[in-house]
Amino acid sequence: MSEMKKSPSSLSQRRKKFAWLIPLADLRITLTLLSLSMVLIFVATLEQVRIGIRGAQAEFFESIYGMWNYPLQFWGGEFLNPLPIPIPGGYLLGGLLIINLVAAFITRFQWTGKKMGIQLIHLGIIMLLIGQLATQAMQEESRMQINKGESKNYLERFHGVELAFIDVTNPDSEHVVALPQALLENGGTHYSKDLPFKVKVLDFGPNCEFSSLPPAHMLKGTSAGVNRGVIKSTNLQINPKPEDFSSEGMNFGYVVFELLDGAQSMGTWAAISHPAGNHWWSQINPKMGDLAFQPIRQDGRLWGATLRPEREYLPYSIELLGIANEFYQGTEIPFNFESEIILKTEGDQNRRALVYMNTPLRHEGKTFYQYQMNKAADYTVFQVVRNPSWLVPYIACILVSLGLLWQFSFHLARFLNKNVASKGSIA
Amino acid sequence: MTEKKKPIRLRILSIVLILTGVYFVFFPNRYTSLSIFDFFKGEKISSEEIINLDAFSRIPVLRGGRVKPIDSVARNTLLVLRSKRTALDENGNKVPAVHWLADVLFAPEQADKLKTFLIDHDQVLGVIGKKLVNDGKYYSYNDIEPYVEEIEKSAQDASKIEREFRNYYHQNIIELYHGLVLYRNLKTTLTPPPHAPSSSVHDHSKLEPLFYNPEVDSSRTSEYRRFRLLTDEISANPAGIKMGNSEVLGPLMYFIDYYARYNLFAEFFPLPPEPGEPGGKWRKIGESLVGTEPLDSKQKAEIEPARFISTVQSLVATPDNEVDEKITSIRQNLKMDPTALFAAQYAEAVKLRKGIDPIIEHYETLEVAYRDNDATTFNRTVDQIRSLVQQRAPTDTSTIAFEKTYNGYEPFYRSSIGYLWVFLIASASWLVSVYSKSEKDKIGASNTLLNCAYMLTGLVLIAHTFGLAGRMYIEGRPPVTNLYSSALFISWGAVLLCFLTEKFLRLGIASAMGSLIGFGGLIVAHNLSIDSSLNPSGDTMEMMRAVLDSNFWLATHVVTITIGYSTTFLAGFLGIAYVFAMLFRLLSKSSRKGKELDKTMVSMIFGITCFSLFFSLVGTVLGGIWADQSWGRFWGWDAKENGALLIVIWNAILLHARWAGIAKVRGLSALAIFGNVVTAWSWFGTNMLGVGLHSYGFMDKAFVPLMAFIGSQVAIIGIAYLPAFFSLFGSRKEQTA
Repeated sequence: MSEMKKSPSSLSQRRKKFAWLIPLADLRITLTLLSLSMVLIFVATLEQVRIGIRGAQAEFFESIYGMWNYPLQFWGGEFLNPLPIPIPGGYLLGGLLIINLVAAFITRFQWTGKKMGIQLIHLGIIMLLIGQLATQAMQEESRMQINKGESKNYLERFHGVELAFIDVTNPDSEHVVALPQALLENGGTHYSKDLPFKVKVLDFGPNCEFSSLPPAHMLKGTSAGVNRGVIKSTNLQINPKPEDFSSEGMNFGYVVFELLDGAQSMGTWAAISHPAGNHWWSQINPKMGDLAFQPIRQDGRLWGATLRPEREYLPYSIELLGIANEFYQGTEIPFNFESEIILKTEGDQNRRALVYMNTPLRHEGKTFYQYQMNKAADYTVFQVVRNPSWLVPYIACILVSLGLLWQFSFHLARFLNKNVASKGSIA
Repeated sequence: MTEKKKPIRLRILSIVLILTGVYFVFFPNRYTSLSIFDFFKGEKISSEEIINLDAFSRIPVLRGGRVKPIDSVARNTLLVLRSKRTALDENGNKVPAVHWLADVLFAPEQADKLKTFLIDHDQVLGVIGKKLVNDGKYYSYNDIEPYVEEIEKSAQDASKIEREFRNYYHQNIIELYHGLVLYRNLKTTLTPPPHAPSSSVHDHSKLEPLFYNPEVDSSRTSEYRRFRLLTDEISANPAGIKMGNSEVLGPLMYFIDYYARYNLFAEFFPLPPEPGEPGGKWRKIGESLVGTEPLDSKQKAEIEPARFISTVQSLVATPDNEVDEKITSIRQNLKMDPTALFAAQYAEAVKLRKGIDPIIEHYETLEVAYRDNDATTFNRTVDQIRSLVQQRAPTDTSTIAFEKTYNGYEPFYRSSIGYLWVFLIASASWLVSVYSKSEKDKIGASNTLLNCAYMLTGLVLIAHTFGLAGRMYIEGRPPVTNLYSSALFISWGAVLLCFLTEKFLRLGIASAMGSLIGFGGLIVAHNLSIDSSLNPSGDTMEMMRAVLDSNFWLATHVVTITIGYSTTFLAGFLGIAYVFAMLFRLLSKSSRKGKELDKTMVSMIFGITCFSLFFSLVGTVLGGIWADQSWGRFWGWDAKENGALLIVIWNAILLHARWAGIAKVRGLSALAIFGNVVTAWSWFGTNMLGVGLHSYGFMDKAFVPLMAFIGSQVAIIGIAYLPAFFSLFGSRKEQTA
């Protein structure tokens, strides 16, 4: 940039002080990184067709690099498909761009009023990048399904299951001990002072196929050692499958576990979680209904074991009063999805709310928006998002917009002045 | 300006050019049915001798969720069936849409002779035993009728194949079948399908006296009256509703089923909300007589007969003022109980639906008058229907007259012709400037043409703007609501920007490129409107899905992002202009103005890309804020979001490459041209993936044109870098601008 010679002394001081940053601030690096981000975004968008938005996000955006195979359906796919191509991931490019920008801020930008637009824009972009990295690290998405007339006080994760042991001996109160997916993935033996037995996780997977074998057949592989519970009584063969990240993906998580009373084995169970809720098992096969609650008796108490979507209990609950699902007359185009609810907070402070398109419920840092509903069965499903860094993009956007406006007003004014001046000679 | 010194022949030339443009854009001409003046004229007054189809075409009806004049129904359905807004008679003469629809509704045996269907796929033509070369591509229903069953079967087979594996034959046969269904439904919108009681269930001798008999009855109203008499009797004597009483129940059940099923075979809703009715629901004729079936007809098999009859009986016996409440309660609380739900519908048909809507009778009169060519009765009845509809649905019908005239004016068709004219004039100006012999001639003639192009751009822009404003007025929405209107708006934005640029830089480049984008965008829009997968009803003003139903965000996010597309395309087309100017310079071996042009091009592309970056960034960010407001997350890596981000990054790359001094004029042009590819991907490509939140605009037919466009852009970039050009561009150092 030619302006550099005229730059105030602060810039040259900075350049001297941070000489080692100068090569990192090179515009060529910026251009390379931007071009690579275009490749990343394009490939990740294409891959959404194959592995779904969540899959593409995990493989490309939330990683250092991702592996891409040229799609089979495209021209020359047969030859090019087997060759895996590494694509730089979101964390790598995002991180490098932040470094490049910060370096440019220190060694290239003039901190003067005339150039304030440029500074604001790039400050905003740094914030956007950091904000997105923070969001991807902190954002949680879950769902809440409520039947009409009922209340719920917990959320369920879209991905991730937990092995829950529920003590129902006392009909007035349930006592729940749950092992989250992270523990199941690690395997090993777990004990809790609240549980009368130890839990040894033998096998776990996020998705499986299962089929009921005739009684004479021996179970093999994953379910081979199971000798108690529903899997044994229905002689269910479990075969692991990779997790399906697509939006319609149905993931049947499974776990095989042994319960130990001291050092003595009580038997080996297995459990499968139904993606739409374990109450569906009885619809598939009445004998499998117990997958929602496999009874275990120990020390005179009745426990039930179940593998279910990981839950988060809330200090408040939501009751569904009714739903509306309206269509434009004579079309299949919906113009309204609406749930009427009562939000019951601690201290019995109730308030009514309507949740509909573009108008979610916000409460205690969580956003509940209308996700699905079933008019015939009268239930609604909210998607629930918690994003602690939600404010960052707003601030970033204001900075960038101000900066752009500032800078382009200068350019436009100059462009117009110049051309008004030279108009006579051209026209 | 040098206006005063202009020679007389140049002045005549410019007047002629501008008047031709004005004629295309505003005046009555043979390609459109109405002109700009019709907006200020009142309606034509009905004469006694001629059937007034203009008045008929203004009757409001509801189709596709929106109240519109019958004129729009006629034009839109023809657009689906024939990809044109007119039909053809047996001799190939044009038949206006409303004339065609009147035939379909009232004299179907006439309509069946008109060429209504476009079939241009050779394999599909094979199904009906025709050849494209000998028989053309337009067919009447009579041509197709013998093959209807075969077409239905083939279409059903094709529908079983998953969408992405269907080939063109599959798509075309499915479309033809949908067209036939649409046509059949139009025919039975005002006229019920023939009676066909099954003899195993019904006693014919009881039913037949009730049926419409053309020899005795003046119209179908007689049948409706006999049915109403029957329900009145039952309503007065609920005790008659009991098991085994087939005397009463047989005809009742037959007619309720028959009229309820008739709802399925009606294309639009002709009856406005009844007087004093809250909620304002429009009705089909069957619906007005017996209501609608609560569930799929198949679920009738699950009805428990004894409980069904006792429920109907108890509902009919309920006092008039309570029955409505009871029926509503069943509908809300017993959603999974077919017995109760169907009983509620029967009770509604007997108890709540009273009399016969006078508009039904008027439509019957209309049919008879149309067939008898009785203009007096026809015109009077049309007036009666219109005033009744006006009374019963005053708010729905406020834009009807405007929409009717707007349809006939065809602003976008006119604008596209206008843009073509501007492009030709601007191109001519360059030819003149290169090939005229004397310097004086050159400047005079070329400048005259440039000024004409500039002024005409402004005039066409008025028509284009009027078209957009008209849509906004009719829809009550911001300008961009779907893919079709985004094409209208993108071209409008680019032309507007070019008009302003040309104001300061009278070089013809902005005029030419603006009119090219204007023309191209309108052609794209036209092709989107005839894409049946994107626009199945033929109405480009379709209703908005719930998630998009927010005028605030449509007006901010969608409009800004679309301006971003528009400006990125403009920068790209300026890049193309530069490449061709270079080519031209090479061929004509003149390089005098070269450097000056380079400088101008660089500043134009650069300036417009600044706009692009601003609008695409702000638009993308506004989208993020919309997403955060609606879904609690700013960014979700959705396909369309990613597409928008690509445009932002590409514009940033272009600007930084320029600042870094890496891209000179040719590099900048090439980058800008590639911006076209990025924008086309974002605009259309992402929709083809069929994934994500924005996949409401899914389309498959556009794949080939999109690939062709991308190919052409890459080819132009290739031309820019042809080694043969290299010497002409001179060494890069000299080109610093």
